[in-house]
Amino acid sequence: MCSIAGILFKNGKRPNLGMTTGEALTEMMDACRHRGPDSAGWAIYKEPREGRLRLRFFIDRGEGQKGDMARIREGLARQGAKIVEDEALGCTYGATVEYSGDVQQFSYALERVGQLVSVGSSLDIIKDVGQPRGLQQLYGIGRFDGSHGIGHTRLATETGVHPETAHPFWATGFADVATVHNGQITNYWIMRRRLERRGMEFRTENDTELIAVYLAYKMSRGVLLEDALRSSLDDLDGTFSYLVSTKDSIGYAKDKLAAKPMVKYEDDELIAIASEEVALNRLFPGRALDTTEPPPLTCGLWSMQSTA
Amino acid sequence: MVTLDLAEMPVRKLNETLRGFGATHQNAEIINPDAKHYIGVGLISPILVRVRGSAGYYCGGLCDGPEFQVDKNASWGVGDNLLRGSIVVGGNASAIAGVGMRGGEIVVKGNIGSRAGQVMKKGTLCCAGYASFMAGYMMYGGRVIILGNSGERVGEDMMGGEIYIGGAVDSLGNDAMLVDPSSTEVESVMTFLDRYDLPFRGTLKKIVCTGKTLRYGTAEPRLRKPPFYSFSSGARHDYWNAKVLEDIRVKAHIGRYRIRGYGTSRHLPHFSDISFKKDMNDAGQNPEVISKVNLRTFIGENHGGRPLDLSMPVMIAPMSYGALSPQMKIALGIASRLSGISENSGEGGMLSSERAEARQMIAQCLAGRLGWNVHDMKRADCVEIYISQGAKPGLGGQLMAEKLTREIAAVRGIPEGMDLRSPSRHPDILGGDDLIMKVEEFREATGWRVPISIKMGAGRIRDDIKIALKDGIDFIELDGMQGGTGAAGSEVAEYVGIPTIAGLQEALDGLEELECAGRMPIVLMGGIKDGVDAAKAIALGATAVAFGSTMLIAAGCITCMQCSVGSCVIGAATQDPEHTKRFDVEKRALQIHRFLEAVRWQLAAIVHEHGYTDVRQLSRNDLVALTPEAAALTRLPYAPNRG
Repeated sequence: MCSIAGILFKNGKRPNLGMTTGEALTEMMDACRHRGPDSAGWAIYKEPREGRLRLRFFIDRGEGQKGDMARIREGLARQGAKIVEDEALGCTYGATVEYSGDVQQFSYALERVGQLVSVGSSLDIIKDVGQPRGLQQLYGIGRFDGSHGIGHTRLATETGVHPETAHPFWATGFADVATVHNGQITNYWIMRRRLERRGMEFRTENDTELIAVYLAYKMSRGVLLEDALRSSLDDLDGTFSYLVSTKDSIGYAKDKLAAKPMVKYEDDELIAIASEEVALNRLFPGRALDTTEPPPLTCGLWSMQSTA
Repeated sequence: MVTLDLAEMPVRKLNETLRGFGATHQNAEIINPDAKHYIGVGLISPILVRVRGSAGYYCGGLCDGPEFQVDKNASWGVGDNLLRGSIVVGGNASAIAGVGMRGGEIVVKGNIGSRAGQVMKKGTLCCAGYASFMAGYMMYGGRVIILGNSGERVGEDMMGGEIYIGGAVDSLGNDAMLVDPSSTEVESVMTFLDRYDLPFRGTLKKIVCTGKTLRYGTAEPRLRKPPFYSFSSGARHDYWNAKVLEDIRVKAHIGRYRIRGYGTSRHLPHFSDISFKKDMNDAGQNPEVISKVNLRTFIGENHGGRPLDLSMPVMIAPMSYGALSPQMKIALGIASRLSGISENSGEGGMLSSERAEARQMIAQCLAGRLGWNVHDMKRADCVEIYISQGAKPGLGGQLMAEKLTREIAAVRGIPEGMDLRSPSRHPDILGGDDLIMKVEEFREATGWRVPISIKMGAGRIRDDIKIALKDGIDFIELDGMQGGTGAAGSEVAEYVGIPTIAGLQEALDGLEELECAGRMPIVLMGGIKDGVDAAKAIALGATAVAFGSTMLIAAGCITCMQCSVGSCVIGAATQDPEHTKRFDVEKRALQIHRFLEAVRWQLAAIVHEHGYTDVRQLSRNDLVALTPEAAALTRLPYAPNRG
């Protein structure tokens, strides 16, 4: 029950859009904020650095903050991760660490010391209760000017309004994979139990987390993301338009009833996807755009031609 | 032609300006539309509106007369419920183009999204390119023309009308078949295409409804059913009681589920299991009691609309013209005026003579958009979106062929003589986000003048009321499992849903979780039988109550539960002139009015006996539960000896 947005610059470089990538995502989300007034979130992809991981945790906004941070720092040290830089931001704690071991084991272990939002060489997920423009200010999203990212505004239906139930969801244990989703997965519990029997873990009862974990599980079994997207069309039941992002691509899948909208604009330089065309026009005010709607029961994956 | 710049003004201002232009026959050009929503919604003048770019949701929705030209694309629901006029889209149109249209012409020069023309009734919807799946889904009439290929299941569950296809047909929908168009029909299509400069040289295929599923198979045998009270009390006893035996025998004959009127007949925890703490034996001794307390209730002012002004916290529940006879509807209209409360159109359109009688009228919008139109919205005092009802949550209405007469079919805009099964979900409300869009469209169509409510059967109410609150709904009508219906599958009526008191408590808990207690007025209905129930409901947390079945019984209903059959002996739930002529409108209206005044007396007496001067002073602290079940459902203190 939400809106989704995604933008990807095909050659990794940003053309002259008159706004940063972060601002572009925020504007698209703001245009659709009526679809989701409760919370907003971004999955943005920053420059990767050799041997380093970006981590983000939820921490207490108030008195518990210092304790949360100390516990996380201690946990990182225990796991052999050396903190290069870190800071508390809103309800989160972000850290860049030197770490080169297995990400899944690392992140499952870190879950004991703090609530992970995202892990990746370039992925950084920012999400909180509130509206896109206000949160952009608070979290400095406007400064992000990378190659791609996805965003989401949420209208909470079945789960509560908290930062941790906001989108995007990180595919727990899998670096650099995030999802946003508009719709409702109706076979949630069947799919969740199936994945739990295979050792996957869930942090919320949000159906979008299920999509992320589903895709991540498939990929962990050696399935290509594109094939995982395709099999999700059969395996997931309900209404959905969702986006998945990796460090160099954005993919989508749309259910067979096409009950949730999704519109795409593409030119030589960029691909932008949003729930409503009004969001795409925020990038190009005053222009009548050649847009297309991905057909029902389809999926796709757009990759950067070359990463800068 | 005057130019209006949407970069400079909000859509609400644009629509106000367009309405002004309409009054003076001034054409308009809109620049910088940037796919903004609701452009031109609710326009009822024959002016030309040019949109220089792309339009967002519901462009030209709920219009009668104007001519729209959109240079580029249109998002969901272009030309929603169009009555007359035309819309030409130069680019693509998204899902449900022409949803529920009742006339006029919509032409899309590019491709068209899924479910084009869903529940359309009349007029022509034409797409020059490719049409995505389920074009003509559940259409009742009118014409869909697709010059390119069509996606899957074209004509799914269509009940009338025609679909012409120039390209390939991927697959046919349920109950749809391919036929050869006649030369006159082809000529008519070609003339239409010429008028819009759409060149076409191929061969047209035609798709119509086969009609196999328009009627139930074997009819249910006519039985002399016991009235509701013996039907329900009989069921409480032995295993193979008369009700069960009858059910098995009838099903052995017809081979499907049975249909009946009324709600559940099972015993459920209800307001009779809740009592006032204070002894009410002396209540009402004072003959002046009505003048001593304030019962007047305003409801629906949260978003700037003019609220309903009720002389007491009571409404008449939505019951359709179709399920009920015109005489019964008029009697309800009169009674509502005499008692200073509101009447509700229910599904299937507004009866003009009832509108004239009722002082305050709620127009209800259902998924099939039967009888729905912009003019009734504009003459309503509140617009209500029906999501579901207590007797059959999650299912659509039913109206058997016997009651779907020519008159009723004409008001609803559909073919007569079928067993009408209304869709269970709205074409354009598939979730909370879509609901926001629909509410905004309705606000634009009514100039933000009236409250917008939703009617909801008690189901997943704890979550749903939160969505209603976030979506800017002014109040909700909440209907429990004891609520009645004109026709439902008997198992559904009997077993699906949750009891009225449980529904109310869950709704209140949902609001509490958002720390929004009191921010969403709840009009409670479902088996509320008198002013005492009403007082208890209000004490528990409802803002008002609504009476449905009670109104019918006050008008003389014998509770035979055969509302669906169409031969109601008192002439209330039938369209048969032989039966309706027995219905004395004035006499019945006065019966209903007297009952409502008895409700007023009871409400006032209870408020007064508590030492209060205003009905809103009643609170849950005044209540106790008499049974463990009622205590568990409401968390009221359990005090079995208070009864």
